[in-house]
Amino acid sequence: MPDERDPLPNPEVPLEPDVPAAPVVPLSAADVADDAEAPAPVGPGQGYQIKLPVFEGPLDLLLFLIKKKKIEIHDIPISIITREYLVYLQDRSLINIDREAEFLLMAAILIYLKSQTLLPREKVADPDVEFRQRNFDHLLPIERIQAVAHILRDKEEEQSQVWTRSTLNAPLPDEDLDLVEVSLFDLAESFFALMKRKQKESFRMVKGKEISLAEKTEEIVATLKARGVLDFLDYLWEQESLEDALVAFFCLLELIKARIVMAVQEQLFNTIKVWLRKEAPPEEAA
Amino acid sequence: MTDNLKSVVEALIFISVEPLTIDRIKEALPDDAEAEIEEALRQLIEDYANGPQAIRITPSVGGYVFATKPEYDAPVRALLQIERRKKLSGQALETLSAIAYHQPVTQAEIAAIRGVDSSHSLHTLLENKLIKIAGRKEAAGRPLLYRTTDKFLAYFGLGAIEDLPSAEELKKLMEEGNG
Repeated sequence: MPDERDPLPNPEVPLEPDVPAAPVVPLSAADVADDAEAPAPVGPGQGYQIKLPVFEGPLDLLLFLIKKKKIEIHDIPISIITREYLVYLQDRSLINIDREAEFLLMAAILIYLKSQTLLPREKVADPDVEFRQRNFDHLLPIERIQAVAHILRDKEEEQSQVWTRSTLNAPLPDEDLDLVEVSLFDLAESFFALMKRKQKESFRMVKGKEISLAEKTEEIVATLKARGVLDFLDYLWEQESLEDALVAFFCLLELIKARIVMAVQEQLFNTIKVWLRKEAPPEEAA
Repeated sequence: MTDNLKSVVEALIFISVEPLTIDRIKEALPDDAEAEIEEALRQLIEDYANGPQAIRITPSVGGYVFATKPEYDAPVRALLQIERRKKLSGQALETLSAIAYHQPVTQAEIAAIRGVDSSHSLHTLLENKLIKIAGRKEAAGRPLLYRTTDKFLAYFGLGAIEDLPSAEELKKLMEEGNG
């Protein structure tokens, strides 16, 4: 006959939080007798009986009820069970090893279950969600980006009506102006027309002066830098002699080919204008 | 110490066709305290903004430049024979906003923000030189990274990217808008 002890709540060492005054009517073996899976109800003589405010009966039944979520594991003070079990063992002269080993196994399972509910759970997240969080957590929500887009729209509207003096010198992006980048034939045609006019005007055809292409190129680039924009025909017309004009023409062709300058005709039949390309590296222009 | 510092700063900005940075103004005026130059500039900008002049001082690409006020748009365009500028599409603007706030940023991140494919907008923006490729991300697939350009700042009349409201200010703005 096992020694039946009353649970002795030890007020000096409350290892477990106070058991709430259980509204639950203590479950006992009889309550689950009709459940086929339930361990066979055992009489008080079979083994150590646990006595708690929420439960009275053998440990395997308690474990079963916890697994079935019929008893909240938080309400089970394991330290009390353990302490009393040790007292029970010490008082016994003979120990049934099999039965006590079983008890230890179940107690271990109980401790394991309780520890799991107490420790923070490791999240097993959806890998997709995890990926998105890792990479895109810092991104602003689309509403805020759309608000920025509105701000930019207003600024664009205002800025499109604001003009600086650099507008005079720099060509605007092609799509904003009806500009046609001219071909070599347009340039040549303009040049020959000019040459004819110049021929009639001046008889000082050959001066015998050597004009270096490099010098002329430098001169053109310097003029472009100073004035920003050149009228192609006017510039050639300004040249002292036909020879100068001819050299200047070839230099311009070279500069256009090297994409250091850009020749643009504003509209059909209008004058051809020449700009320095802004993105041209300066060493090329030298 | 320069007398009429404000007028001096005005002269320096006037003579500059390209935006004049505050650093260059400081270089030109080594005898003046930086704080005073900044204050003079601030007052000057205010004077022009609120004054009867047809021009104002506008921030542009890290500096300041004289520009006509918006109300003189029509006559200026008539003089320069310039058509009204084309506007960016809403899609392109949204993409540009996403880039401005997250740069350097990959196309995948832009798509994650907008929830739609943005390759067409990216192409348009690259073509207009409002954004540029700024290397590759050291991540799987080494995707291209995008950044806004100086032209982006000039296009929207911004002195620096910081002239846009910060992420926090934006949040506040939106809360005010909703409440």
